[in-house]
Amino acid sequence: MNVIGAQALFVKEVRRFLRVPGQTVLQPLIGTSLYFVVFAYTLGGRQSEIEGVPYVQYIVPGLVFLGIANNAFLNASSSFFITKIQGTLVDLLVAPLGPLELLLGFISGAMTRGLLVGLLTWLVALLFSGGHVVHLGGTVLFLLLCAYVFSMLGLIAGIWAEKFEQINFFPTFLMMPLTFLGGVFYSVQHLPEPFRTISLFNPVVHMVEGLRAGMLGLPQTSALGLGLLLSLAVGSTVAAWQMLRVGYKLKS
Amino acid sequence: MAPVLEVDGLVKQYGTTRALDGVSLRIEAGEIFALLGPNGAGKTTLIGAACGLVRKTSGKVHLFGVDLDVDPITPRYRVGLVPQEINFDPFFTVRESLRIQQGYFGQARDDERIDELLAALSLTPKAEAQTRALSGGMKRRLLIAKALVHRPKLVFLDEPTAGVDVELRRDLWSYVRKLKAEGTTVVLTTHYLEEAQELADRVGVIDRGRLLLLEEKTALIQRLGQKQLVVRFGAKVASLPQGAAGTLSEDQLELHFLEHAGTQTSAQVLSALFAAGLPVADVAMQPARLEDIMLRVLKGEVGP
Repeated sequence: MNVIGAQALFVKEVRRFLRVPGQTVLQPLIGTSLYFVVFAYTLGGRQSEIEGVPYVQYIVPGLVFLGIANNAFLNASSSFFITKIQGTLVDLLVAPLGPLELLLGFISGAMTRGLLVGLLTWLVALLFSGGHVVHLGGTVLFLLLCAYVFSMLGLIAGIWAEKFEQINFFPTFLMMPLTFLGGVFYSVQHLPEPFRTISLFNPVVHMVEGLRAGMLGLPQTSALGLGLLLSLAVGSTVAAWQMLRVGYKLKS
Repeated sequence: MAPVLEVDGLVKQYGTTRALDGVSLRIEAGEIFALLGPNGAGKTTLIGAACGLVRKTSGKVHLFGVDLDVDPITPRYRVGLVPQEINFDPFFTVRESLRIQQGYFGQARDDERIDELLAALSLTPKAEAQTRALSGGMKRRLLIAKALVHRPKLVFLDEPTAGVDVELRRDLWSYVRKLKAEGTTVVLTTHYLEEAQELADRVGVIDRGRLLLLEEKTALIQRLGQKQLVVRFGAKVASLPQGAAGTLSEDQLELHFLEHAGTQTSAQVLSALFAAGLPVADVAMQPARLEDIMLRVLKGEVGP
């Protein structure tokens, strides 16, 4: 294995997003912080409780998830897509970097950005609601898995996309509806039927609930969310590996 | 010793177009090989198949004796490519780009090597400049530095001097000679036939995916090259003396003679003219050119 090669790609990826921190870290942080302020305060959430937890605390795990998922996805997808557009993909294809090194480099870079934004979101939330991490191990596992899965999905999108329009398709038409309808700002358990049952088909619901169980100690089971994340992790890794191995949309 | 690059029956099909049609060739260690041909002949596709940029349809490619179907990664540690299209990562400086490239090839940071290349390619003043701020010629120099930063043993130069000024072209030529002196093998594609003539040990002519000719440059020029001699007379010459060959112009003031294998030499023709006391006013000599040979090969006038 080309350890130095994978490391070089990882360092390049991290430096790349740190060169434009306003766009890659600050902007998403402000976005999720605004959600926090608007939903928890101005819409009257300060007084209400869900499942015995103050609303201002209840939405923190979902917002941390949102920060991680969006930024991990965007980093991997945009970075890989730009590499194709600006022609520097040639540098990667000619170098002794196999699927393993390419995955390690791109995914670890994207996870770093996702986790950084997630951590900063959580630190902002601390100011409003205090720190709440009941099950540290479970929480960290969920955060890492979320970051991994959405980085991998972003990479697949970056490999697949041929136009800027296509790269925007996933965040706009898939990620945003799934996350906003995924119980980030509310409990799907309290939805009327048939919306409650329909919501349970949204994988994000189970990821957010699992994270909520870890951070807030709520009784919801995290097993389904964990299972989904693990399945997505395996499935997306196999797909991305295969795309890189055969050079799908990368080699003529 | 196994050849540095061995291609056997290589075929690449794009839909109904056959970009490579059973190409076979061997490149030996330490040589400079020029692959010539018109646009769309298959030069870049051939290089791409050897460098991992193109998925071949059939055939075999061995790099340093390793079958790329068996191990496509290991031989790449020793390969460098200057691609035809200029590319650069606008987030990084020239030096950072070279450090990243070193890393991709599994090498620890080596600023000494980077400084040496920057100096050789006249990029030292731009070392800390953002790549997006470089001129076209400077970006081309950076591409060359990136291809060489890990000290490859085989370098592919795909149209390395396309659209660059004479200075860079001369710089590059001298650097390619230095690479050869250090034992590096160079595969070059170029539209500037003068470049191939200047640098190559062997040349291959490819057209429509087929390798039409593969020969040592010197032998090829001797075999197919035509020197042109033009003699201008100070007064009309009615006929040529014994021992002189060529064609007199209609106004009888010029002699045109094509020297090639099997004919008299230009020197013999000139000697005959002087010996006959003809009024020679001016002599122009055009040496045998690879360009003319390639055109004749492409037209099918001459072959292997």
